[in-house]
Amino acid sequence: MSIATTIVKSTPIFGKMFAVDKSTGLEEINAWPALMIMSSFVWLVVAGLLGLVMPATQIFDLGSDHFYTTLTLHGAALTFPFSFQLMMGVGLHRSGGCVGKPVTGLFAALSWLTMNLGAAILTVAVLMGLKVSVVVMFPLPLVGAQMGVWSMESVIVGFTGIYLVLACMILCYPLLVFKMLFFGKKRAELVLSERSLNEPGMLGMLLAAATLLLTGLPLVVVGTTLLLALYKILPMSLAAWAADPVVFQYTFYLFAHNLMEAMALMVASAMYATLPLYLADGSRKLYSEKLANLALWVLLVTSVTSGLHHFITFYPNQPAALSYWGNIMSWGTGMGAAISIFTILATIWQHGLKPEPGIVAVLVGWALYILDGASAIVTSNIAWTYQLHGTMWQSGHFMTVVLSMSLMWMGVLYHHYPVITGRKLDAGLGSLYIKLMTVGSFGAAIVMLAGGAAGMPRRFADWHPEGWMLYGNLILAFGLIIGASFAVYFYNLMKSREISAPMGELARA
Amino acid sequence: MLDYVYTGWGAFWATMFMFIPFALMAYWVIRRKSLVDTGPTRLQPSEFAPIEGIWLTFAFIFFVVANLASLKFIPWAAASGATGGEAEVQVDFTAKSWAYDISNRQIEAGKPVRFSGRSSDTQHGFAVYHPDGRVLFTMLMMPGTTKPTSVVYTFKEPGKYAVRCLEYCGIAHHRMQDELTVVKSN
Repeated sequence: MSIATTIVKSTPIFGKMFAVDKSTGLEEINAWPALMIMSSFVWLVVAGLLGLVMPATQIFDLGSDHFYTTLTLHGAALTFPFSFQLMMGVGLHRSGGCVGKPVTGLFAALSWLTMNLGAAILTVAVLMGLKVSVVVMFPLPLVGAQMGVWSMESVIVGFTGIYLVLACMILCYPLLVFKMLFFGKKRAELVLSERSLNEPGMLGMLLAAATLLLTGLPLVVVGTTLLLALYKILPMSLAAWAADPVVFQYTFYLFAHNLMEAMALMVASAMYATLPLYLADGSRKLYSEKLANLALWVLLVTSVTSGLHHFITFYPNQPAALSYWGNIMSWGTGMGAAISIFTILATIWQHGLKPEPGIVAVLVGWALYILDGASAIVTSNIAWTYQLHGTMWQSGHFMTVVLSMSLMWMGVLYHHYPVITGRKLDAGLGSLYIKLMTVGSFGAAIVMLAGGAAGMPRRFADWHPEGWMLYGNLILAFGLIIGASFAVYFYNLMKSREISAPMGELARA
Repeated sequence: MLDYVYTGWGAFWATMFMFIPFALMAYWVIRRKSLVDTGPTRLQPSEFAPIEGIWLTFAFIFFVVANLASLKFIPWAAASGATGGEAEVQVDFTAKSWAYDISNRQIEAGKPVRFSGRSSDTQHGFAVYHPDGRVLFTMLMMPGTTKPTSVVYTFKEPGKYAVRCLEYCGIAHHRMQDELTVVKSN
């Protein structure tokens, strides 16, 4: 029995939801993904509760300290160990079944270990007092320690945690994907739905892994240098270049921006692979694979440098030319989205749709992603960003992109769950989850964008001036609905029923 | 009208202008083809081509127009027009956790003001709010830069303009606030 299967089996409550079906001979592609998906949902519970605490601290005046602690933990837990890990688990399961290779070995174990250990260590650092938000705001960690706001020990612990999380996303996971796609022999018994790299359903997986590796390597170099200096292995004089705020910020955002884009590429790819399975006429064909691939390439090419829009208000320290470039490339991603919109709707129009909960959840997540995309390109316009940067608009954009991708992956999981566990989810509960999530996520996104339009600052522990508490109350209300939708989703996982037919056969069907 | 479009609320409605037609169309297509008429459509892929062309052309034109029209509202591009040969009033400031040191807090309406700011410790913002609560412009400062971050802005109306840091800078970030007074021009 795989160690991953053992860990899942011995985990209280969540273990029951993801107990691996060993009767099918597919444990090699099921076990590690099951552990990753299960772990991501543990973090979702943490992130979800913290997300509700944030507005509650403002409404009940619990103090700014609590707000900034929950802000840091909520953002970090939601983005990395929940969203990225969920994507990693479902994505690897897809890849394994598409190329007929096992999801096992050192890289699989390291991917899980570095992500969860790193996130746990970062949590400890935040509880030690480090309040730096999900984007670190370098050099804030060092400045805070110098000012005595938090200890240098908490900075060292926090950077260690962040470094491990980055190691997962930039090195372990991409290398595992490359290993599965390009090395080792295909095993016929592991092939569930064979796909080639020419198909959009697999192309996005490859592009995303390449993006993570290539755009993340500079950050690995900077992060390694800083960490060695913090542990006093390297003299600070040799690490000064990496501690330059401008150097750190540009390398950080080169990766952080493309992390979101890579996750978008991957989920778009999963959508292109999943949608054809639910077409009413059983044709299993997209309207145009060429157009779907074009959308992925446009998204990739435009997004790599569009992250320059993060520094538009830094003028003239970021030259105007680079800001124009970031502006144009960001709107270029909109052309990728326009192509994707046409491909998806034309496919459904041409072939009809079986509206099962999994694919409907994917489509709702996709619609939320389009709302997010529209808000993202608007705030990448130079004129608009001068009035929106640093406001709740950006938080709304960030939350929406993470939530939309998570919603899509949770939809894709409906398709993979029976293969992993040999159990089936209830369609009625699935439908209830989708309804609640639709109201909660679109409501929260629109309210946060409106708050930003009204000048409500992000990461700001006082929503009382200028009447911003109205937006805060609405965010809490919609957050509670999102929380209820997750509760329904978990309940569905808990109550899943055994499938009588051998799942290996069904999966291959 | 463009003066409104390139504000925070203009951004909100521009987003809705892109999203709402998409949402209605997507809902209609998905509902129709999953519940009302689930059978395959007889149209051939080639018959979709004109719609595809029109849709992508419309998206492209909209994107180009929205960005070209915004050029007038980019602070550094607008600066040359705003000054109109008139000398800029210089306002220098330094941001340090959690306060601003501002060289001049009283400004005359109608005169172009160049705000030049630096940070002396960590990342900070300098956002100027209109008395009605909307953000007029925001600036990002990082320590150690050779040049100050800079914006030229001409205030139109007298009043009290709040200044807030919009870059998270630690546990008292929300208290990093100041005020500018804009008076009638002599």
